[in-house]
Amino acid sequence: MSGLTHQDAERLLYLEAHLLDERRWDEWLDLYTEDAVFWTPAWRNEDEPTASPDTELSLIYYEGRSNLADRVWRLRSGLSVASTPIQRTAHAISNVLVEAATDQAAKVKSSWATHVFNPRRKAQHVFFGRYEHDLRREGDRWRVARKKILLLNDYIPTVVDFYML
Amino acid sequence: MNGPHTLISRGSPPAAGALTAAELSALIDDRPQDGAFRVHRTVFSDPRVFDLEMKHIFESGWVFLGLASQLPRPHDYLTTTVGRQPVVVMRDSEGRLNAFLNSCRHKGAIICPLTSGNRKLHVCSYHGWSYDSAGRNRAIKGRAEGAYGQAFETESHDLASLPRFGEYRGLLFGSLSADVPSLEDYLGDARKLIDLAVDQSNEGLELVPGYVTFTFNGNWKLQLENCSDAYHFTSTHPSYLRVLDRRAASQGSGGAIRSVWDNDRPFESGARGATNGTFSFANGHVLNWSISQPSDAHPLFERIEELTRRFGEARCNWMFGTRNLTLFPNVQLAENASSQLRIIRPLAPDKTEMLTYCMAPIGESAEARRRRIRQYEDFFNPSGMATPDDAVLYEDCQAGHQTPIAEWLQGYSRGAGAASAAPNPLTEGLGIAPQSSVLGGPDLCDESVFHTYYRSWRDRLTRGIERSGTGAAQ
Ligand code: FES
Ligand SMILES: [Fe+2]
Repeated sequence: MSGLTHQDAERLLYLEAHLLDERRWDEWLDLYTEDAVFWTPAWRNEDEPTASPDTELSLIYYEGRSNLADRVWRLRSGLSVASTPIQRTAHAISNVLVEAATDQAAKVKSSWATHVFNPRRKAQHVFFGRYEHDLRREGDRWRVARKKILLLNDYIPTVVDFYML
Repeated sequence: MNGPHTLISRGSPPAAGALTAAELSALIDDRPQDGAFRVHRTVFSDPRVFDLEMKHIFESGWVFLGLASQLPRPHDYLTTTVGRQPVVVMRDSEGRLNAFLNSCRHKGAIICPLTSGNRKLHVCSYHGWSYDSAGRNRAIKGRAEGAYGQAFETESHDLASLPRFGEYRGLLFGSLSADVPSLEDYLGDARKLIDLAVDQSNEGLELVPGYVTFTFNGNWKLQLENCSDAYHFTSTHPSYLRVLDRRAASQGSGGAIRSVWDNDRPFESGARGATNGTFSFANGHVLNWSISQPSDAHPLFERIEELTRRFGEARCNWMFGTRNLTLFPNVQLAENASSQLRIIRPLAPDKTEMLTYCMAPIGESAEARRRRIRQYEDFFNPSGMATPDDAVLYEDCQAGHQTPIAEWLQGYSRGAGAASAAPNPLTEGLGIAPQSSVLGGPDLCDESVFHTYYRSWRDRLTRGIERSGTGAAQ
């Protein structure tokens, strides 16, 4: 078994983007390990994002995939006016760089922008930032064990949900 | 992401014929003798109303600025706004706090462009005038060679102090007008409710590092009301509540954080006695509350014995209860699913900015802090599972607020028949004398609590109009 290649990394990140944009939520969840960490820091000031989720505020911080499953459930529940209709997204990922890779684990950095259109308000916005994916080999596939989403434009017009990041 | 989005305020178009005091007053249909209270929708949409609010509420009365604990060291500063004016709060070398217009005396440039920091000397980026952390002008570049006239030499060049600046238990307030009651009088008995938040630790309150800012395309008073609106909770937030059910069913497997409402949901329908209600105070301050069994999932639970010893069981129970406190006009201390300090900044009649923080008792354990932050993010963030539904509904409300028909809103009548000015065991226990209290079960969901917002609002605006003479022709 060999380490993660650049092409493997790109394929996985692009797949995640497509699954979110195509609302294939169950397949998206399946990309994550059961103990996955999903983290979007807040900002302390103009220059520094928060760095320590247990003592500082984050926009989103979850340990465990079931928390993501809850968010997916909420989105599909029809019980959240902010999620009705689900907004249309197009994730674009670039500058993919494999930082470290062994047989079992890898770290991948990239830049992202998500174009979001709200069909109810006829309004659009672009969220953007940088990703760090920590990948782990599980059997014959790579899964996301930790995803850190740095949101650079954190002045949020009304709502930002996990699928827009 | 909901509205056509601009990063800066659109401001309001110039007023087409200012409102008279009588016209303004007529926007609140307040007839206690008939048990009637209605609000005209244009209070949320008319740019002339917005201008009056800026002038006569935000820019001529007490406004929340921040917490003293945000500025622990000499030369710490934070920037904020009072109405439309940039303001900086600084701690000087002696440890004293002051608030100034964040604007250079030379040509007005912003002196402190960042949200916060620590600086002994603030040098204006434009022509290099400098100020110390007590706001004193320290240097005027090239002063000796400047051939300034006599008048200039006799003027003060210090930063302009806010005419009034005050602190109550670490909460900092300022006013752009000197003609205001003392801060103690302004806050009145709402101070006792601030105490319930501050007394949770001997060392007081702090803000967890990291802030979250969002905007919504709606009037600021929609946020003001929503914080004290128990009626919306179960119908607006079922997705959040059902997620709590899902987590409870999973028994904590999968890493979900426990909710303070795991054992007891004080908002859930059913008779329970007087567990829920509201207190309304003079000057527009209100508390919406419920009391339940202190939950062992509450971050404060580790201190329950100490707090009971110090304050008695009843007061301790208040600390564990849901308390949504609004200090009119711009700050809310919301303690429910977690604990939030939110600052409301109106940008335009139909656009509001919310600056939000997780507030917490200083010195709580690492585990309690971690849980508080997790409970907070899920509920309060615009990326969480509750606040987004509120904010989208403000925008849905705003969409109907320019209608020329059905212009009187009916959302101010629930609970009016239960409101009483008389003391009761709860107010006596807290040592407060609200103008009005409503006590009931979880289904009462009082809306008469909003009356004090709009009465204060009307009184401030009509008085402002009369004093300034704008549109005062009667
Ligand atoms: S505006 Fe500040 S020095 Fe000129
Ligand atoms: Fe709400």
